[in-house]
Amino acid sequence: MPINSWFTSNNNGTKNSPQPASPSLEKLQDQTISNSLEETLQVIQGVMQNEDDLLVRRFHVFAQHPAVLIYYSSMINQTMVNQDVLKPLMKEMPSEKVGTEQLHDVILNDTLYHSQVNTDDRYTAVIEELLRGNTIVLIDGLTRAIIINTSSIENRSVDQPATEQVIRGPREGFIEMLDKNIALIRYRLLTPELRIKTMEIGRRSKSRVAVCYLEDIANAELVNEVFRRLSVIDIDAVLDSGYLEQLIEDNHHSPFPQVQYTERPDKVAANLLEGRVAILVNGSPLALIVPSVFNQFYQTVEDYTERYLLMSAIRIARLIALVFSLIFPSLYVAIISFNPELIPTEFAVAVAGGRAGVPFPAVVEVLIIEISMEVLREATIRLPQQVGGALSIVGVLVIGQAAVAAGFSSPITVVIIALTTIGSFATPAYNAALALRLLRFPLIIISGIFGLYGVMIGCILIANHMLALKSFGMPYLTPLVPGNFQGMKDLLIRAPLTWMPERPAFLLPKDKKRMSQASIDEIKKTKPDIVGPKANKEDP
Amino acid sequence: MSNMRQITTIQSAAVQVSTIIGVGVLALPLIAVRAADSGAPLVTLLGLMVGYVGLFAITILGMRFPDQSIIQYSEVIIGKWLAWIGNLFAIVFFAVLTSLAAREFGEVVVTSVLKSTPVEVTVIVMLLLASFSCRNNIITFTYLHHFYFPLILFPGLGIVVLSMKNADLINLQPIIGNDPSHMLTGVLTIGALFQGTFIMTLVIPAMRKPQKALLAGFVGLLIAGGLYVAIVVAAVGVFGSEEIKNLLWPTLELAKATTLPANVLERLDAAFLAVWVTAVFTTLLSSYFLTIRMASEMFRLQDHKAISTFLLPFVFILAMLPTNIIQLYAVIEDVGRVGLYITIAYPGLLLIISLVRKKRGNQPSDNVMEPLH
Repeated sequence: MPINSWFTSNNNGTKNSPQPASPSLEKLQDQTISNSLEETLQVIQGVMQNEDDLLVRRFHVFAQHPAVLIYYSSMINQTMVNQDVLKPLMKEMPSEKVGTEQLHDVILNDTLYHSQVNTDDRYTAVIEELLRGNTIVLIDGLTRAIIINTSSIENRSVDQPATEQVIRGPREGFIEMLDKNIALIRYRLLTPELRIKTMEIGRRSKSRVAVCYLEDIANAELVNEVFRRLSVIDIDAVLDSGYLEQLIEDNHHSPFPQVQYTERPDKVAANLLEGRVAILVNGSPLALIVPSVFNQFYQTVEDYTERYLLMSAIRIARLIALVFSLIFPSLYVAIISFNPELIPTEFAVAVAGGRAGVPFPAVVEVLIIEISMEVLREATIRLPQQVGGALSIVGVLVIGQAAVAAGFSSPITVVIIALTTIGSFATPAYNAALALRLLRFPLIIISGIFGLYGVMIGCILIANHMLALKSFGMPYLTPLVPGNFQGMKDLLIRAPLTWMPERPAFLLPKDKKRMSQASIDEIKKTKPDIVGPKANKEDP
Repeated sequence: MSNMRQITTIQSAAVQVSTIIGVGVLALPLIAVRAADSGAPLVTLLGLMVGYVGLFAITILGMRFPDQSIIQYSEVIIGKWLAWIGNLFAIVFFAVLTSLAAREFGEVVVTSVLKSTPVEVTVIVMLLLASFSCRNNIITFTYLHHFYFPLILFPGLGIVVLSMKNADLINLQPIIGNDPSHMLTGVLTIGALFQGTFIMTLVIPAMRKPQKALLAGFVGLLIAGGLYVAIVVAAVGVFGSEEIKNLLWPTLELAKATTLPANVLERLDAAFLAVWVTAVFTTLLSSYFLTIRMASEMFRLQDHKAISTFLLPFVFILAMLPTNIIQLYAVIEDVGRVGLYITIAYPGLLLIISLVRKKRGNQPSDNVMEPLH
């Protein structure tokens, strides 16, 4: 169904009306195929410039009509072309002789064993289909080319998501192929209201972009806005969903991500059910989810699959880690340099003792260690896996120990920075963690100038920015500000599922009910002791 | 185009609270004690009543003209030129209020934590922060207040609760004070601390249900006033009225005198002051927002962003005019009392004239507002 829909919509050229993909196609705009086979072939070969993997196979349809088969040998399924296209066309003799006028219908209706067949008479459409890995059959005397979907591009198998691992939850992650990804979503939501609309973005990449939403839940204006923002994009290539994210977000200069990405189909399904819209791009294993608010970036799938009490505690721990990764080093600098009287005397003495041999002021010391930590982190990502682990141990342990021994930094600074760095990795969303990790540098500097006062000024600036930020018109800190009671149950803690019978109202879903009241009442009833110890029946 | 009427009743109450609670709290017990010794809590309570008079005047006016701010409906009520004069006074008054609050907090910071920083720096930092945040619309402005509201209320309450163990009931007696003759001045000075209620004139035109503005204002002022009275009670209870007369910022001293259980932090004053930055920021934000919104409405400007930057140097110069803290507090008390003419007498007059001339604005229809987008 989805494959057919894109297949047909491209050929009809209704959506994304023919945009010149390249200078050579521009010349052929609006030209139609002539009924002379040789002429048509010459035009196509002229455009394709006889590429090495472009195959042109001449044969006779029903042993009488001269025809050619054109395809890129690198992009097709050879067996399919042989068995389902070439064999029936050459072998399946119709009982009576077929004239050129009936040929088109006979081939489509009686001969080809392939479900995805289409015909077109425009050169541009034919060449685009060819580039996509489809097979073209041109027959002498016929003014329509037969296009057969035979594309087969090598893809990796559905695998564990690399960046969003969970202990409890599905193990599937998206891959690069859009059709596989759509299938992963579709089998989770067996409802006819699941809409997957595809369009093409990118003049040269012609990337297929799929917009997924649930018709009866997602707010119609939100869906329209997503389509509107996507439709204005005119770029040469969309190589990853990250390109789209930057082109559709509200504030392009904010450090905070306003679009969530995920490689988990179950996460996409859960978000669709809340009334959000997902955007998938062919060639990218990461789906985009809009609109996104800040609290999504510290939630994980596990929060919902594991028991609520434990996951609420873990979510709070994650949030503390997030806040720590932002302000911990600057608080340390402010207290050590300006207000050492705040901390208990014994500890203040210990800190002062540790810092005795350090020549720099606290702010410089913290900045140096922070920057070297960022360098180490970046280096560990770039290193080949085999040496990465070893080097990170050398980097962190040895350099940290040596820096202290050399009187370069105090042991407490190293502890603070290590805690901060680890804290920033506790955030499930890499982009949100990155934003806060970046923002802690200006905070450290301002705390070195103004102390606690500066830390507060910095935090107020960050908070003000977050409060003014929007994702598709939705305030970034919803459901905290503006407050939404239904949403707050899923903000700091994750309330039991029975407490959240309605979808978050701030997404303005059309259908609000998630659980029926009758079911909740039944679930909450006290259960009989079915297999409890039976009262003295079999006792001696 | 998103709907501009989306501020809820709770949010407008939060705006009230965080606008009113500001730098004035730090010196509040001193002002109250100067007026009536141990009768300070009573003076504060009476000051709150004065605040309520202003609140009711501005809110009832706002509910008569639910789509307009004071700039627009004053022109309807008393004519363009008279309104122009009154509004100009209001704009200048709030600009002065912004500058004095910034200067006062700047002085607090350089006196107690950043001893070697020039006061100009701390003042300009606060003013920059306010003017930068004023560039948003009224909805985001409300979000800011809503977000900071708990961060302001709970540290204040925390200080009160933690210091109660040192309080002595005898310090609070007699509750009417020993010499009630100065009470009226004190009541008016403290009443001037509640001038933030004027912000209702900008909030009401964006409220989802303007008919609930009175409730929102009442609750907001009750919370803020309750905290004021609690702080005065705690300060007088802990230090006694004679001791407070020797303290410049008794609330800060109160924070200094309290300790957290388990001795997590040895002293609380620096931490309290850091948290109080948010309270001062929200107050500055409101008074500066009032200034620039009213100015841009009066001069019929489309956008108030440019005026926010334009007015900043003037406000800064105003803030630097008082030469020292003593003069600063004298100016603050005078300006506050003069301000009562603008925040209470002017709206009151407008209200009476509008009642006499039977002027009212469009009443909001009862149908449910269109949701956002």
